[in-house]
Amino acid sequence: MSTATTTRFGAELRAICGAANVVDDPALLRGRQVLGVVPSTVVTPASADEAAAVLRVANENGLSVVPAGGFTAQNMGRKPAQVDVLLSTSRLRELEHYDAADLTIGVGAGWTVADLAAKVAADNLFFPGDPALPERATVGGLLATGFCGPHRQGYGGLRDYCIGIRFVTGDGHKAKGGGRVVKNVAGYDMMKLLIGSYGTLGVITSASFKLFPAPRQTRTFIAEFPGAAEAFQFRNQVLRSPLDPICLELVSPGARQLLHGFGSDGPWLVLLRAAGSDPVLARYRAELGSAVARELEGINEREAWRALSNFSHTVEERCPQSLLLSLQLPLREVGPILQQLATVSASLKHAVIGRFGAGHLLVALWQPSGSTVQAKAFADAIAGLRHRLPIDASIAVLSCPPEVRADIAWIATPTHVESMRVVKKVLDPNDTLNHGRFLF
Amino acid sequence: MNPAVVEQLRKIAGRDAVLDRPEDLMLYEYDAGIRKSTPGAVVFPQTTNQVSQIMRLASSAQVPVVARGAGTGLSGGAISREGGIVVAFSRMNRILEIDVENQRAVVQPGVVNLQLSEHVSHLGLYFAPDPSSQKACTIGGNVAENSGGPHTLMYGVTVNHVTGVEVVMPSGEVVHFGGKAAESYGYDMTGFFVGSEGTIGITTAITVKLLRKPEKVATLLAIFETVDDAGQTVSAITAAGITPAALEMLDGWTLRTIEAYCHAGYPLDAGAVLLIELDGLRESVEEHAEAVQAVCLQQKAREVRRAKTEEERALLWKGRKTAFGALGRVSPSYYTQDGVVPRSKIPATLAHIGEVSKKYDLIIGNIFHAGDGNLHPLILFDIRFPDQLERALAASKDILEYCIAVGGSITGEHGVGMEKRDLMPVLFTQEDLDVMAGLRNAFNSENLLNPDKLLPTPRMCREIFGAARNPVLVQEGM
Repeated sequence: MSTATTTRFGAELRAICGAANVVDDPALLRGRQVLGVVPSTVVTPASADEAAAVLRVANENGLSVVPAGGFTAQNMGRKPAQVDVLLSTSRLRELEHYDAADLTIGVGAGWTVADLAAKVAADNLFFPGDPALPERATVGGLLATGFCGPHRQGYGGLRDYCIGIRFVTGDGHKAKGGGRVVKNVAGYDMMKLLIGSYGTLGVITSASFKLFPAPRQTRTFIAEFPGAAEAFQFRNQVLRSPLDPICLELVSPGARQLLHGFGSDGPWLVLLRAAGSDPVLARYRAELGSAVARELEGINEREAWRALSNFSHTVEERCPQSLLLSLQLPLREVGPILQQLATVSASLKHAVIGRFGAGHLLVALWQPSGSTVQAKAFADAIAGLRHRLPIDASIAVLSCPPEVRADIAWIATPTHVESMRVVKKVLDPNDTLNHGRFLF
Repeated sequence: MNPAVVEQLRKIAGRDAVLDRPEDLMLYEYDAGIRKSTPGAVVFPQTTNQVSQIMRLASSAQVPVVARGAGTGLSGGAISREGGIVVAFSRMNRILEIDVENQRAVVQPGVVNLQLSEHVSHLGLYFAPDPSSQKACTIGGNVAENSGGPHTLMYGVTVNHVTGVEVVMPSGEVVHFGGKAAESYGYDMTGFFVGSEGTIGITTAITVKLLRKPEKVATLLAIFETVDDAGQTVSAITAAGITPAALEMLDGWTLRTIEAYCHAGYPLDAGAVLLIELDGLRESVEEHAEAVQAVCLQQKAREVRRAKTEEERALLWKGRKTAFGALGRVSPSYYTQDGVVPRSKIPATLAHIGEVSKKYDLIIGNIFHAGDGNLHPLILFDIRFPDQLERALAASKDILEYCIAVGGSITGEHGVGMEKRDLMPVLFTQEDLDVMAGLRNAFNSENLLNPDKLLPTPRMCREIFGAARNPVLVQEGM
């Protein structure tokens, strides 16, 4: 966008948020690029009211807005044509409510996930959200991306424990869904629409969550398998057993090479994390039997899970030229897809992890060192995967090399697209938010 | 109703699949709540295609439509606008698929909730949402209202168990949201649809999760001298780091009424009891059962009993689940509320309900999902005396406003329906409601699909002035 536009609306934005919170100095903006596009202005509202006023100005004047939290997941989607306003949630830091006895908390979207987790841990409570880089990732970003981490297995997804949400629509209306209590069916479930909407329906300003009692102790059991088929068989055995692990994670040999602390070489791994007393852990040991090669506890255990949560970031850091896909699959499809990866991506290397007991996989594909990026190889791999998946599986591209960005369909979903477009039209009628980056 | 429309309905669904005689229609004018309204016709489709044709007909004839399962809802959700079409799903009651490997079932909306669990029981599986009416209520109705039940505490309400829906939109178009995967990329239209109370579309096939039956279940009955002690215990159990599968409270008056009816073995002289269920791995259930027992005793429980056999367990639950029948014996009418409060506010809220009972001179029993703060005050009255109905409604409003004031909600599992929509403005701002109305109007543009539900009374400009591009809410009477 031109500086002229900035000057024209800069005064209005400054009047809303204060001069210190509207940055349009090119030298400072360069560090806030979105897929290489330097924003014209970074605006940091301090409240939902200010965010709404900013969006009204943007909406009325045809400015494009990109909401941003900790900048840990901005590598998704098509490259925006321009970013007039980068709306940072970093000052939305209110503690709306915290009721330890009720196991609920409500915080501003700018809280980092690590701060939220630490806050409730002090009362022996637990927040299951486990994104990459939790010290930077914000609650707003966690919800907007619908991040699915290892705790998905035992605690469900954000859609299961986010109990209330406040947001500002693309045309600057403040709205909310849900509330502060753990059970509530009054009104439309706006949480569901906003979770995973990638900032295309509204700017999330705060949210309330159900919390869980912190496990008194956990243990991680590690099993090794020569191939994906055996790992999948083990998964089915666990799912059919009375065991109720809080994490059940698959790690491919390729992923072991990328991740820290998993040994650079070796077969497929399955990590099962259990919570409970000594007798409960003993029962896990008995049920899992000889499949378990070793156990992790304490700092080693925490580090291993932290590394798995960080997988998407590690891939971007260590293999910047890779394609990272996230797959949501019916449970039965996990095995066949694992076995077909090799054929789908014959010319590519691959790494897979995922909470495969819940049907979620992260797949990284990259070209062997030395070869140049070939868009076709990636496009073929995606097409090959789609071809093999049932209609009700869905795929999202989490990151990709710049060379292939323009040609990729970012999301494939079984859900009726026209109905999604209807929702978009109501909540962001002028396509102000993340214009053209994701679905529409 | 226009005879030509009735004739069209017969052509679509079959001659024996439409009711329009006044004596037949009377059976469809109410649900388990207290509102009534007589439809113009009731149609029983057998296929998705017929539902689609009915929607097209309703749209072209400009007749309101409402879907109906078993009519067990408590908020008026299945009640038609006067003269409208009721689409009753009792003939779309097939279980279409049991997919054990994917832990899913695909069912038609008319499948009875409990029937699904019974059908998959031999596979060691079950469907978790368990409304008290589960012997009668349908899964289609559960989806519309986002129903809960006692085991919601651990397992969540209906939306947490639905992964895909086939929906007939008001235009007659058949669309799909989600599928068998636990989550899908793109907007979560499935999650948005569940609990939309039949105002967005009508579901004709539902993909639900099937859970593995727990290895071990322990059911405890903790007996207290006072309601307050029982209420304090609810928070104490949570504070001990235990999430029971279910945690129900019955006050003294209610349990005596139930005991006289079904002899569940409840103590007649108690102030209140907690019915507590723990499930999961054998080892953890044993530990938690002991811990819960210790907490109850610390919190002045007089006694904690544990069901020793499956029969004893079933009896304890029978008392809970047939409570409404028991109340029918002692009062000509009763009005059930569904307010939610933060768990720690239960003792204060029960004290307030006691005051409301005195203020309005009505007996109010309490039997509810204490673990998640979901109250069900049962307000007894006699509908033959209009002043009693008025007092019951006023008492109910008083209780719900109190729930909102302490940070709660007006409905935990029954839905807003007709009866609570005028309280929505207390819970939501006008701007919040405008956004919801915008969504409703975008999908249900003529507001023929279950009108007068969920959102408050204000009429849309478009209803008055025709189809406005950007409808603005105006208060009724303006």
